[in-house]
Amino acid sequence: MANLGKARIKAKSKKGIVTVKAMAKHPMLSYQEAKKAKKKADFITHIMATVDGKVVFEVSTSQFLSKNPYLKFQFAGEKGGKLELSMATLLGEKKSFSAKIK
Amino acid sequence: MNRRNFLGLGLGAAAVAMVPMNLSAIDFRATKPAAWTATKVDAAMKDLYGTTATTESGVKLKAPDIAENGAVIPVSVSSKLAGKTVAIFQDANPEATVAVFTVPAGGIIDYSIRIKMQKTGTVTAVVDVDGKLHSASKLVKVTKGGCGG
Repeated sequence: MANLGKARIKAKSKKGIVTVKAMAKHPMLSYQEAKKAKKKADFITHIMATVDGKVVFEVSTSQFLSKNPYLKFQFAGEKGGKLELSMATLLGEKKSFSAKIK
Repeated sequence: MNRRNFLGLGLGAAAVAMVPMNLSAIDFRATKPAAWTATKVDAAMKDLYGTTATTESGVKLKAPDIAENGAVIPVSVSSKLAGKTVAIFQDANPEATVAVFTVPAGGIIDYSIRIKMQKTGTVTAVVDVDGKLHSASKLVKVTKGGCGG
């Protein structure tokens, strides 16, 4: 199961716009790759970011994201907030990570 | 769905604070399952939005002309439109849909992700503004496939 590793998150605020760069650790095995490697297909299916309980970013993803997917997004927000990034995978694994907005 | 989420949470790392998933979240894999198995971009778009009529304006799609490594292709989508969702498709892999972003109220459409493509194909980004689709597409040449190729 534990395909989902640690995520690295950087959140920086500039003039009221927070830019988040995040990199998750996950092999992102598509069905084809999994068949070759004789493993079960597994990939991140849903990523959501919240600040103080408010959703600021959300994406449903497929197997065609790169291995160890990287993403960048922006939203309106100030310094000091706490960003929560939660991820879910096809095999039902769930993890969430937090980072302070700098 | 909620129950499954709840069980899954227990398995996660204990040290990190947990947030329940479905706050106002829309998981497109649950609500539009057909779109994720569609093999053609048009079919996936139809499953997701109910139409394939798009206007080619207002959306900026950035992707390399030639990708040496199909396993890591940086793609970014930005738009000043007040879109509700943003979808990324491509026609090189067995299934067409790559990702569907939900734009929260007042959200900024400026997303970058890295995707993989098996062979040369066209990446299409669609921004949904109140049921009207705006799109941009770009041909990406892949010299080395990244999808088990």
